Formats: sequence, structure tokens, C-alpha cells
Amino acid sequence: MTESFDMITQTVWFQFLSGYFGTIAFAILFGVPKQFYNTGGIVGAAGWITCFVLTKHCGFSPFASNFCASVVITFLSRCFAVIKKCPVTVFRISGLLPLVPGIGIYWTIYYMISDNFSKAFETGIIALKVLAAIIMGMVIVSGIPNKVFKTLFSPRRAQNHRSAES
Amino acid sequence: METNQYDNNMSEALEVATKAGYILLENGAEISRVEETMNRIAKYFGVDTGNYYVLSNGIFTTGNSRKLKKNNPNLLSEQFADVKYIPLRGSRLDKVVAVNQLSRDIEAGKYTIESAGEKLDEISKMPFVKNWFQVLSSGIGSGFFCSIFGGGLRDCLVSTFAGLILWLFVLKVSAPHMSKLLGNMAGSFLSTSFCIIAVNAGLGVSLSHTIIGAVIPLVPGVAFTIGIRDIVGEDYLAGTTRLVDACVVFFGIAMGVAAALLIFNKIFGGLEL
Repeated sequence: MTESFDMITQTVWFQFLSGYFGTIAFAILFGVPKQFYNTGGIVGAAGWITCFVLTKHCGFSPFASNFCASVVITFLSRCFAVIKKCPVTVFRISGLLPLVPGIGIYWTIYYMISDNFSKAFETGIIALKVLAAIIMGMVIVSGIPNKVFKTLFSPRRAQNHRSAES
Repeated sequence: METNQYDNNMSEALEVATKAGYILLENGAEISRVEETMNRIAKYFGVDTGNYYVLSNGIFTTGNSRKLKKNNPNLLSEQFADVKYIPLRGSRLDKVVAVNQLSRDIEAGKYTIESAGEKLDEISKMPFVKNWFQVLSSGIGSGFFCSIFGGGLRDCLVSTFAGLILWLFVLKVSAPHMSKLLGNMAGSFLSTSFCIIAVNAGLGVSLSHTIIGAVIPLVPGVAFTIGIRDIVGEDYLAGTTRLVDACVVFFGIAMGVAAALLIFNKIFGGLEL
């Protein structure tokens, strides 16, 4: 009974909350301005829940699920960057945190120190694959020209303003 | 007289641009953003002969008034050169956002060179969130990240307390008094020890999950992400510098965890990850 209650953390809704609040907590430590906490949290939670559901419930490999999550995160970050008029970096950094291939690298070094070389190799290769997946997701979405996001999301008011000015 | 004024403008404009670049780079912006912002600011103030070479820990700015000389042959051409060294440090994204906003405002014509310089000084002195708030968010972050990495509810609670203790240590001891590597080793040693004791006392279930949650505030997420971003943007030198920096931090964290595990293994015996 207590065991099953303990593992409540591994349900989808709890993971979503974890992604949201975890992202916000670290966004604070990275000095993200207050008005972006909520948006950053949404980006992080959306990215993490994509990765979690695809891995745990759809049987995707870590590579595929991290790739999808990275696409979702970069896409949402770029949308919000245009909507909120701030650098993409702010959302992307907070959003990518839950995926952290860093943790894989940390385990790799840890296994290396404790002489467990076969495990070190295994986790190291997985960490590199995850890293590659995240980079690929980022590159593909970064390739979309900024114009697309601007025409999609900037309020019509801004465009009128510009034409009035010129 | 008029050309003279314009001349002075060049070095002032480039100084303001360099200052903006300095703040951006110091606080974790990508290389491409730094170059773009510097160029934008300098261009608005009428300098289009500026050259910027930005590494992850240095900015080289040069400019000359060759163009002016063509218009007025009597005038000696003026040169501007500046090299700034910027140590790799933690990131303050609020400053990046503020400088970004400033560069937009400059383009919209809201600032003169002087007022832009003052505004940049103001930005570089922006206060960070209160210490207790940092400690609290470190704890909360540790707790939720423990759940993300697969820990149960009790593990998350242990991680939360470890995260609180860790950040207190970072603020009071390691940040002001220790080098980067030693600080990370000591910090992860401390929080791992706390986790081991707590799990041994029956408060937590899975040691490895609590430890991951507990050391996550030390993981250099920004350096890592920006490093990747720089490499993707073909700034290989800057990207590798940042990634190596991140790896040194990972190494420190892993050393601290390993040391704590080895020592407590001798004391308690038979620790299982």
C-alpha cells in the first residue's frame, strides 16, 4: 500500500507537475525574469511529458523520444519568444533542463571513477545518443525561418504600426 | 568640428557596443546573439566599420574611420581597438533579457550613446533574487527532479532537504571561498553524505535517485545548452570551451559523489545504489 503510494510520482500527471515546477525552480536559479516563470514552466513540462509518455507508454527508444521532446521544446520556445518578445535562450535553457543529457554524463564519469568500465561505456554511449537527438531536434526547428513565427504570432497591431511608421 | 564630433562618436559607440557584448557573454548568451547585438548597437550609432570577434571568454572589437577619411582627406583616420577578457561564470538570464530589450529600444531611437551606457551600467548591477528564495528553489527543484529521474515520494523529500542544504553551502562557503572544481566536489560530497545518512536511517528508498536529485542544482545546464547551441551555430571554439567547462563541473560532481560513497561504504558497509 505504502509502496504504491510512494510510486505516485511515476504517474503522468505527477510527472507533468514535476516538469513544470522543476523547470521553474531552476529557472529561478538561472535568473530568468519573473514574468517568464510560467511560460518557461510550460515549455519544460511539455517537453518532459513528451519524452516521458513516449518512452514509458509508447515504447519509443531514448533517442526517438528525446528527439521529439527537443523538437517540441525548441518549437514552443520560438513561439513564446516571438509572443513575449524576449530571447529564445530563456525558454530553451529552462525547457531543456529536464532532458539533461548532463545526468548521463555524470553517471558515465561516476562509473569510470568506480572502475565499472562496461557500464561507463554503456551510459556514455546512451548519453551521447541522447545529446545527438537533442541537437538534431534543435537544428531542425532552428531551420524554420523566423518570419514564419513572426507572421503566425505577432499581433496584427505590430504590423500595422510598422507600416504606419514607414 | 562636425567631423570631429562624429569621430569621437565611433569610439564611444563601439565602447557601448562592447559593454553590451560583455554583459551578454558573461551571463550566458550565445556567440551569434552577442555579435548580432553589438553590430546592431554600433550600426544605429553610425558605425559600420566595426569588427567583432567573440569567443566564449573574450571579445575583440576594432573599428576605424576610413570612410570619414575619404570624405575629408585632411582628417587622420582614427582607430579603435579593444580586447576584453571575460571569465566563465554562472548565468543571469535576466541581464540577457534586459540587454536584448535595450538593443531593441536603441534601434527604436529611445537612447543616446550616453544614456545607453548608463543603462548598461544599471543592468550590470541588477540585483539577483534573495538568498532564501534561491535556497528554497534549489530544494524544490531537487525534489521534483528526483521524481523526474524515477524516484518515489520519500526519495523526493530526502532530495528536497539535500537540495536546501546544498544551496546554503554553495551560497555561504563554496561560491565565495572555493574554486569551481573544489566547490562542486565539496557540494556534491555534502549532499551525497546527507542522502546516504537519510537513506540509511530509513527515510528514503532508492539511494541513486535521491543522489541524482540532490546534486542536480550543481549541474551546469546553461553552459551545456549554450555550448551545444554555439557548436550548432558553427562557433566551434566557443562551443568546445563551454562544453569543456561543463565537463569539468560534471567531473567535480562525480568525484564528490564517489568520495562520499567510498567513505560511507567503509562506515556503514554494503551500500547499494
